[in-house]
Amino acid sequence: MSRRDVGRFTLVLLAFLVVQETLMLEIRPGGVHPDVMVLLPVLAGLLGGPSRGATVGFVAGLASDLFLPTSFGLSALVGCLVGFGVGLATVALDRTAWWLAPTAALAGSALYEVVYATLGAVLGQPQMLHVSLVRIVLLVSLTNAVLALPAQRLVAWGLPAASAEGMPTSVGVGGSW
Amino acid sequence: MAPPRRSRRPRTVLLLLVLAAITIITLDARGGLHTLTSGLRSVASDAFSPVRSGVNAIVEPIGSFIAGSVHYGAVRQQNQKLQEELDQLRQQQAAQAAQTQALQQLSALLDLPFVGNLQTVPAEVTNYGTSDFAATIGIGVGRSDGVQLNMPVVGSGGLVGQVVQVSHYTATVRLVTDGQSAVGVRYGAGTGALAVLAGQGWGKPLAAQLVPTNTPLTDGEVFTTSGLQGAAYPAGIPVARVVAAHTGATATEESVSLVPEADLAHLRYVSVLLWGPSS
Repeated sequence: MSRRDVGRFTLVLLAFLVVQETLMLEIRPGGVHPDVMVLLPVLAGLLGGPSRGATVGFVAGLASDLFLPTSFGLSALVGCLVGFGVGLATVALDRTAWWLAPTAALAGSALYEVVYATLGAVLGQPQMLHVSLVRIVLLVSLTNAVLALPAQRLVAWGLPAASAEGMPTSVGVGGSW
Repeated sequence: MAPPRRSRRPRTVLLLLVLAAITIITLDARGGLHTLTSGLRSVASDAFSPVRSGVNAIVEPIGSFIAGSVHYGAVRQQNQKLQEELDQLRQQQAAQAAQTQALQQLSALLDLPFVGNLQTVPAEVTNYGTSDFAATIGIGVGRSDGVQLNMPVVGSGGLVGQVVQVSHYTATVRLVTDGQSAVGVRYGAGTGALAVLAGQGWGKPLAAQLVPTNTPLTDGEVFTTSGLQGAAYPAGIPVARVVAAHTGATATEESVSLVPEADLAHLRYVSVLLWGPSS
């Protein structure tokens, strides 16, 4: 990655953080707020493949963890798993299809929240499973599905040119992340 | 022709990142990285504090404008001038109601009977938590105001929670309803029996632990902080009142549900008690 790429990605990360820490925290239907930071690993996996999804998920997760009262590093762990998973699951699909980003956001966000609560409980915070998980999954997934298309443009701008990483190949094509 | 194979690089990257994340979580939980992570969290919180204020200052008038426009459009066929006046009056009324509520909460904070001679720092609630998985609030005071980790926070009705993160200008308070919260309490007029109130998540009632079976409890009975030596809270702060109690056939403890005395869903102002267990 060039310095320009790093600068672009940093700007996109900051934009997501600002939106999350200002606008999204004000929206709390039923005591639950949306989480747009989940979109970063999902869309990075979709646009750039498994390892880019994992790397973006890790970095975005660490940034999120700075503002969360839960274990430091938990969002990074879940982010890299979900980014990788979305990259792997969509690798054989037509990534230009308009419906793919909202669908990936819907499924990826639901997976993220469930894995987040489960791993949090396993790693010493059992109360994370004593929340309205269904409500959280529904709200986060639906808002992210709605926001996926505009967010996809932003993430595409912030990441270097998408690669065909993870595709079946005889020479092992890979991204530069 | 050689069969196609998948690159191993993504899996290696994932493995390295997972190991890095688990290492960070473990070091943070065991205290090895805790100073670094709380320092980073403090810096991030301070850096975003003005951004939050700025964005809120921009967004609130836009929201009001949109709400006003929608309202205007709906009554366009009616007497425009009168309707505008009515809108203004309604806005004033809503603003006054909000101000009255804020004033009531502030006034109540000035005269909290259970605080006694303890020093307090009043604080505005800036957000209702950054995570859906923890019951916390953000408050607009920090180290610069004398706030430190683990200090108790109270509202007009009683105990609100405890400071769990503090930066220069802001702090995060874990509410008594959070799943990680456990408050030592006394109950029973005259007897002063001890119990622990455990949080069960945002909006859910508290559960009492260590209450013997067939303990006579009445609805509305208030549990107060125990103030035992080394306790996290000073004695005598109302925490929650009983809403349901029963003993199961084979239970070893009474099952008691309580609701917090402080109205945690509508907090606008709270007071941080400048108090620690050694005070």
